Amino acid sequence: MTSPSASSRKALSKIATNRLQKELMEWQVNPPAGFKHKVTDNLQRWVIEVNGAPGTLYSNETFQLQVDFPEHYPMEAPQVIFIPPAPLHPHIYSNGHICLDILYDSWSPAMTVSSVCISILSMLSSSSTKQRPNDDERYVKNCRNGRSPKETRWWFHDDKV
Amino acid sequence: MENQDEIPVEPETESSTFISAYEADDWSNYKDSDVMLQQSAIFEEDAAKSPFVGDKEPLSSLEAEYKSGSPILLEKIKVLSEQYAAIRRTRGDGNCFFRSFMFSYLEHILESQDIAEVERIKTNVEKCKKTLQGLGYADFTFEDFFALFIEQLESVVTGNEAPISHDELIVRSRDQSVSDYVVMFFRFVTSGEIRKRSEFFEPFIFGLANLTVEQFCKTSVEPMGEESDHVHITALSDALGVPIRVVYLDRSSCDTGGISVNHHDFVPASDDNDTSSSAAGGSDPNPNPNPNPIPFIVLLYRPGHYDILYRK
Repeated sequence: MTSPSASSRKALSKIATNRLQKELMEWQVNPPAGFKHKVTDNLQRWVIEVNGAPGTLYSNETFQLQVDFPEHYPMEAPQVIFIPPAPLHPHIYSNGHICLDILYDSWSPAMTVSSVCISILSMLSSSSTKQRPNDDERYVKNCRNGRSPKETRWWFHDDKV
Repeated sequence: MENQDEIPVEPETESSTFISAYEADDWSNYKDSDVMLQQSAIFEEDAAKSPFVGDKEPLSSLEAEYKSGSPILLEKIKVLSEQYAAIRRTRGDGNCFFRSFMFSYLEHILESQDIAEVERIKTNVEKCKKTLQGLGYADFTFEDFFALFIEQLESVVTGNEAPISHDELIVRSRDQSVSDYVVMFFRFVTSGEIRKRSEFFEPFIFGLANLTVEQFCKTSVEPMGEESDHVHITALSDALGVPIRVVYLDRSSCDTGGISVNHHDFVPASDDNDTSSSAAGGSDPNPNPNPNPIPFIVLLYRPGHYDILYRK
């Protein structure tokens, strides 16, 4: 799946390129448990394989995350989505968009791809029910034009899951 | 959690998913993308009107701002003008404390050429780096921000090259790619100090927001645009060893009827192991025979915002 907003994105700044190279190197030495970076020559888009943690609703399931980096990463958040089929989860839309505060308003340059991955896995692991968000159909319909989840104004009023 | 498309901007009172009547509402004509476009237009307008760091203005400009406002504030500004000559405004984007500190500090070094102070702060910056490493931060997450600050610091003193001009300092402070990186450097330093001394900061944080130290740092210190409170100021002042005076301009008045302007000096602990004396900073006036030096960084606080003040 490609998102137009990502493909029309400006190239990485020098500082972003430098940072991502270091981040990738660190990932190769010390990848977060349960994740596998699929090697490509595209530094600006990472595709990461996620394995549901054992003992959770998603054990033995594998998903793919697509991480697109903006020109001014890490000052700006990366765009992180699941490539459909996305996990059935109350905070994950069927088009792969993820409702998680750290990907939007609460992003900090102190975070890394690795720490974001860990947060997403923890969100999956703490789920007690496999279902879509209540407004899935409406939201996904609104994204037909291929807009980015970063163009959504999210509400995070449920931190139980 | 919910996306907010087509939902009125008023926050919901309950945590239900979304308002069923919204489709009939006029707000439904406003798409997120429209709202965001409008928001970014407002942001750009703000940016044009108020740069990250403004020009130095006489204190009378502050008076003009309150001309038809509260008489207490006007009285207080009069009191302020006995000691202070000018103000430099910073943009109200949630980073104003850090941005004010950055400009004020670098401007002081540029004007004083205080090499000893530069060496002193560099030692502290090294310690901050060790603190972050000790807390488990990977070097690559903070090193670019540290390097950029050191670069700015070295550019304002005479080294192999002459220091940059005052105008150039202003240009850099208004350049997002420099200014935001330095702000983020301070956020790292602040977060590291709070986490390192979490027992000390815990009660203050608990009083501010019902959060653990870790949560507080993640949600209220490390993201850009999160406003600063006395916890942030204490931590930054202690970590870098730089005293900061904050002058409070608000409507409060004393019972005695006399108008005075309160200020608070954040005085860093003189010794690393002695964190007790830095508690809430020293208070003024200090009757001690060895009073703390008057901080060279003076910020004017109005509820929700910090600007830079200049002494006469």
